[in-house]
Amino acid sequence: MLIDHPKSATGGARPRLSVIAPLYNEEDNVRPLYAALTQALDPTGLDYEMLFVDDGSKDSTLSRALELAETDPRLKVVKFRRNCGQTAAMAAGIEFACGEVLVTMDGDLQNDPLDIPMFLETIEQGYDIVVGWRFKRQDKLISRKIPSKIANWLIGKVTKVPIKDNGCSLKAYRASVIKQIPLYSEMHRFIPAMASIAAPRIAEVKARHHARRFGASKYGLSRVYKVLLDLLVIKTLASFAGRPLLWFGLLAMPILLLGTGLVAYELLEAALWGLPLSLPVAGCGIIFIAAAFMLVFAGALGELIYNLGDMRDHEFARLTQHMQTARVETQTQ
Amino acid sequence: MIERNTSIKYSVIVPIGTRHEDIGELYEEYRRGMDSLRAPYEFVFVVDGPHRDVIQRLEPLIAAGAGNIVMVVLNRSFGESTAVMAGFERCSGEIILTLPAYHQINPEDISKLVAPLDRKDVAVGWRWPRVGGGFEKFRRTMFHSLVSRVNGMQLHDLGCGARAMKRVVLQELSLYGDQHRLLAVLAHRQGFSVTEVELRQSEQDRFEGRYRPREYAHFVLDVFTVFFLVRFTKKPLRFFGMLGATMFGVGALVVLFLVVERLAFQTSLADRPALLLSALIVVLGLQLFALGLLAELIIFTHARHLKDYQGAQVIHYPKAELPRPTREARVEKTAAL
Repeated sequence: MLIDHPKSATGGARPRLSVIAPLYNEEDNVRPLYAALTQALDPTGLDYEMLFVDDGSKDSTLSRALELAETDPRLKVVKFRRNCGQTAAMAAGIEFACGEVLVTMDGDLQNDPLDIPMFLETIEQGYDIVVGWRFKRQDKLISRKIPSKIANWLIGKVTKVPIKDNGCSLKAYRASVIKQIPLYSEMHRFIPAMASIAAPRIAEVKARHHARRFGASKYGLSRVYKVLLDLLVIKTLASFAGRPLLWFGLLAMPILLLGTGLVAYELLEAALWGLPLSLPVAGCGIIFIAAAFMLVFAGALGELIYNLGDMRDHEFARLTQHMQTARVETQTQ
Repeated sequence: MIERNTSIKYSVIVPIGTRHEDIGELYEEYRRGMDSLRAPYEFVFVVDGPHRDVIQRLEPLIAAGAGNIVMVVLNRSFGESTAVMAGFERCSGEIILTLPAYHQINPEDISKLVAPLDRKDVAVGWRWPRVGGGFEKFRRTMFHSLVSRVNGMQLHDLGCGARAMKRVVLQELSLYGDQHRLLAVLAHRQGFSVTEVELRQSEQDRFEGRYRPREYAHFVLDVFTVFFLVRFTKKPLRFFGMLGATMFGVGALVVLFLVVERLAFQTSLADRPALLLSALIVVLGLQLFALGLLAELIIFTHARHLKDYQGAQVIHYPKAELPRPTREARVEKTAAL
């Protein structure tokens, strides 16, 4: 369900800004995060709300967040029954947020809330998505920074949304844009690429980055193959979701050519030089031709699926058809 | 859904399929078990298909006003999961029990089954100690250890039809096909707390070594379903892609090997069936990959209904309550189911 213009929970007008922070076993970070947020945002005089999404933590994250919520009506706590992952936590935060601009950030204080006003200003300049770029990243070089460089380069190449740092959680979105984008599985790394379906204006700004103070990091190196497959999915969805027949047809074309080539070669050999037909070679050709046809039919099935799906009922489907390459503009301060 | 009678605490759903025993007798036994709970309850008998004998047996019971009995008759046999869901639509209790339509557990243990629900969301029966031949025991152990490994939760008796759960569990899981047996697994995956309760096996529960090959196929398919549902529902390409890429790779390696042989050792390529085989494997891998992409497209176009965070709550203390903060949080919104 899409919440287009949810009423502000405080009963008044929509707040200008919603800050969304997923928390998973971050009991030591809850209070510092709240303190940092209020300290950064109170002096600006902004009308804002905070959403702490407790992703099924096993420690006292939830109770500490609730204690804070009792004292501050601007804090909403979203409670999950089990651990659903960071993407789900962000998606829930985005769904339940009421603000006109949504800012997502890590719950572990590696992002600096002092950057938020600047992100907001950039949105006000007319951008739909503002992506943070941890230009002085406080992480291990070999296990974190280098793989992330390669991944970002690859993601940029494949999705044509060249962002230097997809992994930075500090991002700001115009609510009307991000609420249209379906987020599931482990897509939080690819939100800008996914959002490129809606052809937003994307800006990239430098963000401060701190080393972790409390708690342990929850990432490892083991996610390479997952990222690769996810990337393929995003690419397929972002560029071809609205026309699967075309995409499968493109895939089928070289296979069809290969198959026809093999069969034609065998036939030609037999006709011109009277050689006996080679069964394995001609057979290969026939298999490839059949495979190409199967792919085209798979594409037809894809058209059917897309037609019956609920993305069509939506503004979003119209945007897909008029897709353009998302513009990326890098801002330096 | 019909209007709920909130005075009822327990609803007992009895799906009645082809395998059933005398319902009147069974009802009397279950009723005694339910009476021991000392709370208002109702029975929902779902007749799954045209079982005239059952309907004739139940009609006088309902007419006699023997407690709260609802009978739901399905016009053909839909399977146990659908029967349970059809019964659920008509029951009012805060706690839902499903009980088998044949003697499986000792009805006196019903209170034992319900007891853990003050802490847990789901309690499933585990017939223990249990009769059965050596091979049957071996099969059971194998099956359940496989399921447990995939699911990460130790379960011992998926076949036991006695289950108790809170209302919200059935609201969120919509069961179909053979999923009633996997209820504990699926509920665990949705983040509900699940526990097993040892129940005495009924002395009349004698179903030994009579499984046909068809049933074994069902067990295997169950394991596969659990595996797929638990791990890959939201990311089908991880599953199909892994398989497809492996096949594609193997096929491509064989082709490469053949080509190298042809070039280096002048072995003729044209009359080797291995070429055909490798081409087939490559193509199969490609097809699997295409299937995976189609599956992703299905997930994408239905993403709005497939939220991971079903049942998420927004807890929020509005300003008006501020002067005297209460522990009673106001629940603002609940994620659409």
